[in-house]
Amino acid sequence: MIPLPSRTFLNVPRSLRVGALLLLTALPVAAQETDPCFKLDQPTKYPVESIIDSARTLGLPWMPLRSQVCEGIAKTKGDGKRILAALRDHFNRLKLAQTTLGAVSDDELEAAATVLKVAKPSQLVAFRERQKGRSDLEAFTVWTDLITRGVPSEDAFIAISKLWRDGADDATFRSLWKDVQADISQGLNPGAALQNRVREAPVRATAKPPQPEGQKENQSSR
Amino acid sequence: MDMSDDAADVQRVLAGDVDAYAALVDRYYDRCARFAIRMLGNRDDAEDALQATFLRAYKALNRYQERDRFSAWLYRILVNQCRSIAARRAHRERVFVREEALLLNAPDRTPNWTGEEEEFVQRVLSELDPLLREAFLLKYIEELSYEEMSALTGVGVSALKMRVKRACDRLRDRWERIKND
Amino acid sequence: MTDSELHPYVELIAREARRPVVTDPVARDRIMAAVRAASAPGHRFLFWRRAIEPRSFRLSPALGGLLAAGLVGIGVIAGGLSTNRDGRAMAGQSSVAAAGLPVSDTVVKFVFLAPQAATVSLVGDFNGWDASKVPMVRTPNSGLWTVTLPLTAGRHLYQFVVDGTWIPDPSAPIAGDDGFGHANSVKLVQKGSAL
Repeated sequence: MIPLPSRTFLNVPRSLRVGALLLLTALPVAAQETDPCFKLDQPTKYPVESIIDSARTLGLPWMPLRSQVCEGIAKTKGDGKRILAALRDHFNRLKLAQTTLGAVSDDELEAAATVLKVAKPSQLVAFRERQKGRSDLEAFTVWTDLITRGVPSEDAFIAISKLWRDGADDATFRSLWKDVQADISQGLNPGAALQNRVREAPVRATAKPPQPEGQKENQSSR
Repeated sequence: MDMSDDAADVQRVLAGDVDAYAALVDRYYDRCARFAIRMLGNRDDAEDALQATFLRAYKALNRYQERDRFSAWLYRILVNQCRSIAARRAHRERVFVREEALLLNAPDRTPNWTGEEEEFVQRVLSELDPLLREAFLLKYIEELSYEEMSALTGVGVSALKMRVKRACDRLRDRWERIKND
Repeated sequence: MTDSELHPYVELIAREARRPVVTDPVARDRIMAAVRAASAPGHRFLFWRRAIEPRSFRLSPALGGLLAAGLVGIGVIAGGLSTNRDGRAMAGQSSVAAAGLPVSDTVVKFVFLAPQAATVSLVGDFNGWDASKVPMVRTPNSGLWTVTLPLTAGRHLYQFVVDGTWIPDPSAPIAGDDGFGHANSVKLVQKGSAL
């Protein structure tokens, strides 16, 4: 969008005006080249922008949505329908994650939205009880991965949420994931692999002491 | 839409069959609701407007002339009701936000909301000045001619055309702003 | 019926606004309750002159939204990740800088084993999913492809493109279906280190 010259602009010497106009002409082209929506067809471009605009307004992380548009263009050769469907689904999961978890970091919201691809919203509620200074990124990432690799959804939820309630640190989740993944690649049934590793995993807790029984009940999953 | 149905139902109501009015309500409620929600931006206000509209229409039914379209007559009342309510409430209208179901009661699958566009469209519309919004809705959502709009609103055709144009300009400007963010 | 010269964005708004709204059936009951409680319509006549001929008033009709199966034949990933903790750029970053990646003091090394591949590149949310931006380099006399690049702290999604095929990282967690029939890998980058 080339801005019209203002009156002030027109008082500038002609040579500078020409140079400036050339620069201004170049800018939209450069902007288009970095604009992921540039390659979208018209019926797709406007709904896409409206979804991203909605996300921005709702305080949802909108950059992952924009990134997904680039991703969709790269992976589907610009198939507008598929890109829009994926974007809508992503937006809806972000909203749901935000409603469930409230004010968390953008990365955690994204990770929670990803969890919602494979787990139930009511299970995510179990993570609503926040511990100060603790990030759920690792827990959510491992949770999603396990189910995607074939661990039954309920088993994965029980294992992850229990570890989380017991105060397991990121390293515990990480090493659980490595071990289970190694077992699966060796041919072990994913559910069984998880059960084995959960039994033997020493829980390295974060600093928080264990909670009294009464409070623990509040965190039980539904 | 069969005009004779409307006329027949009106006659039945005037003859004392109150329940015949339910047929008219059923026939027009959803369409009126769409206009009221788009115009007022929230469901509470829209329901107030709809309630007032249908009640007022009922009370004034004897004044309805069969040569007029019932829908036009009804919409005239609706547009005026929306204006009254908009004038009474805060100028800055709140966006209609769909209430998320209580997660603990919600079905355990990610809901397939198609609602983000509705919220978006409400937000965009609420940024328009009410008179521009009204003209835009009547022109492009109710798809009336300018003459029909004029009969409905009491505003002249050229003024209405100007309002519709300004509404479109504002929307286009909005697109330019968000596109360049 | 719309103005064919409407700006596409305005057309979008109009189209979305024309969609039917969900209404509460209870509201209609409330209307009928109020109607029944009201006195019957009066019988006075008022002549109502119209300034124009009555036209047909047509209301718009109600209108009314990886898993890593591809790994077979590619081989098992062996590589780990390492970072340069003092934040100095690793060799090869100049090509990476040209890819428009963010300035960051966290450097991450990606490794992928593909002895049969002719080209491997790294694609993700840090380079606009553009397979041309971060090509990986084959270590001589091995099937290992590597690249080291700066990433901002946080969560990143990525995949490898191996001779045109999108493949997740076998050494990283999967982020479920990406919505396009693929599975993205997740990299959690902490400031000054990588996972």
